[in-house]
Amino acid sequence: MNILTNNEKFCNQSLKQLRNVIDPEIGLNIVDLGLLYELNLEEGKIVCRMTLTSQFCPMGEVILDGVHEALQNTFEGYQVEIELTFEPPWNEERISEHGRHFLRQ
Amino acid sequence: MTATKDSSTHTSPRVVIPFYVYAAGCLLISTILLFLSTHAFQQHYFHPRVLAITHLMAIGWGTMMVLGASHQLVPVISEGKLYSEKLAYLSFMLAAVGIPLLAYGFFKFNMGDPAKWGGRLVLLSAFSYLINLGKTISNGESENVHAVFVFTAAAWLFLTVFFGLALVYNFTYPVMPHDSLHYLPLHAHAGVVGWFLLLVMGVGSRLIPMFLISKYNNTRLLWAIYYLINSALISYVIIFYFVDDSRWVVLPGILLLISILLFIRYCFQAFRSRIRNHVDGPMRLSLLSIAMAALPILMLMIIITSILISKGEKANLILAYGFMIFFGWITAIIFGMTFKTLPFIIWNKVYHHRMAQKNTPNPKDMVNSRLFKAMSVTYLIGFALFVLGILVPGLDGVLQIGAGFLLLSTLFYNVNVSLVIFHKLK
Repeated sequence: MNILTNNEKFCNQSLKQLRNVIDPEIGLNIVDLGLLYELNLEEGKIVCRMTLTSQFCPMGEVILDGVHEALQNTFEGYQVEIELTFEPPWNEERISEHGRHFLRQ
Repeated sequence: MTATKDSSTHTSPRVVIPFYVYAAGCLLISTILLFLSTHAFQQHYFHPRVLAITHLMAIGWGTMMVLGASHQLVPVISEGKLYSEKLAYLSFMLAAVGIPLLAYGFFKFNMGDPAKWGGRLVLLSAFSYLINLGKTISNGESENVHAVFVFTAAAWLFLTVFFGLALVYNFTYPVMPHDSLHYLPLHAHAGVVGWFLLLVMGVGSRLIPMFLISKYNNTRLLWAIYYLINSALISYVIIFYFVDDSRWVVLPGILLLISILLFIRYCFQAFRSRIRNHVDGPMRLSLLSIAMAALPILMLMIIITSILISKGEKANLILAYGFMIFFGWITAIIFGMTFKTLPFIIWNKVYHHRMAQKNTPNPKDMVNSRLFKAMSVTYLIGFALFVLGILVPGLDGVLQIGAGFLLLSTLFYNVNVSLVIFHKLK
């Protein structure tokens, strides 16, 4: 789990909210799952660069909507832009220690 | 890539749910008929009741469920939108009217208007599905091995139904050189192998690693399986029409066996490289169904050997073979996959806008796990007893008890499906 940001305080605040967004199949939140690549605060705009566990994830749209909703609710007045990328593709190395413990259960 | 609403690959639940409900109802009717017709399974497989139950299981249960799920999954696989929801509705309506007519025709062994109209409507349904699927895949962003499997399967479905309708006509007008019974193996294998097997492998090779949270992927292996299955089918057609020596049917049988073993290997590798330790009940049943696909192949080998040795077919072995396909492999995989896909569809409808809120249940919480366990246990007992009853002559009571367990498992299935479909926001 390594998230690039240009604003640490904003990033920590975002992550707190984004931990409520759960991948419905895995049951683990997207932060510990390592789906987030970048969280940047730009002029009047929040840019979130993220991925999904699979390019064919049928829940992809729901997860993106959840991220959008969480960020929009936390930072009212900001425009939220989500960039979905599969470069680099997600892999299990991105899962946090807490996430690994959860998945081993 | 920036995600926007326009990039949605989501098909409306209104399109998909009717297929699931109809299929569940057909399974219930099939098992009630099975319970009331166990005597027919001690006779020849060309018995009206066996034909009616087989078609209800093949089209009403298996095909309708697969059509519903694929309208949801193919846009995801091909990264596009479903070409037309209207065509999907049309496909549903045509089949929904055609299936009971066709089943009634077989049940009464009346190949007149009901069976013919039933066959025509099912053919039109298969055609509209084929068009919708082809357009969806060609408009999608990604052309991949899974989409090719699914499209080829839909083409085999169309051919199977077309040939089946010709067989219905052949009862009243001689449109073929031999009687319809002669062509039954061709019709059955085009449907079972061309339609069901290709489709299950095409979709399963994508869904199984995804649900297991496994990064395993082996496109070369999947292409090899694809060519093996199609070679098996085409060689079977050639042998059926042009080769007089029945020993050659071993060739497509072997090709098929290799393709299934390779697919089992694919699933095993996905299982081994899974990230999540816990495998839930629906996934366990789905994985078991993959192994269960080997049972009818084994039975097929026994049938071929028995034909070669005794120069005559054994009707009970053929009945067991068909039963293992429709009530075994196909039913087991649908039982498992229903409770992986349906909760997602309903969850998406009910909880889509509560994604970022605490305490939102997961899709798996919508399934009653005790009912699922009861369904799985009664199903496996019923399946084993019924196969035993078919294979060993004189076990009437075992057949009846087996059918009773299967009926019970179907009731559990229907109740659980209803609980998921009518799930309300918590």
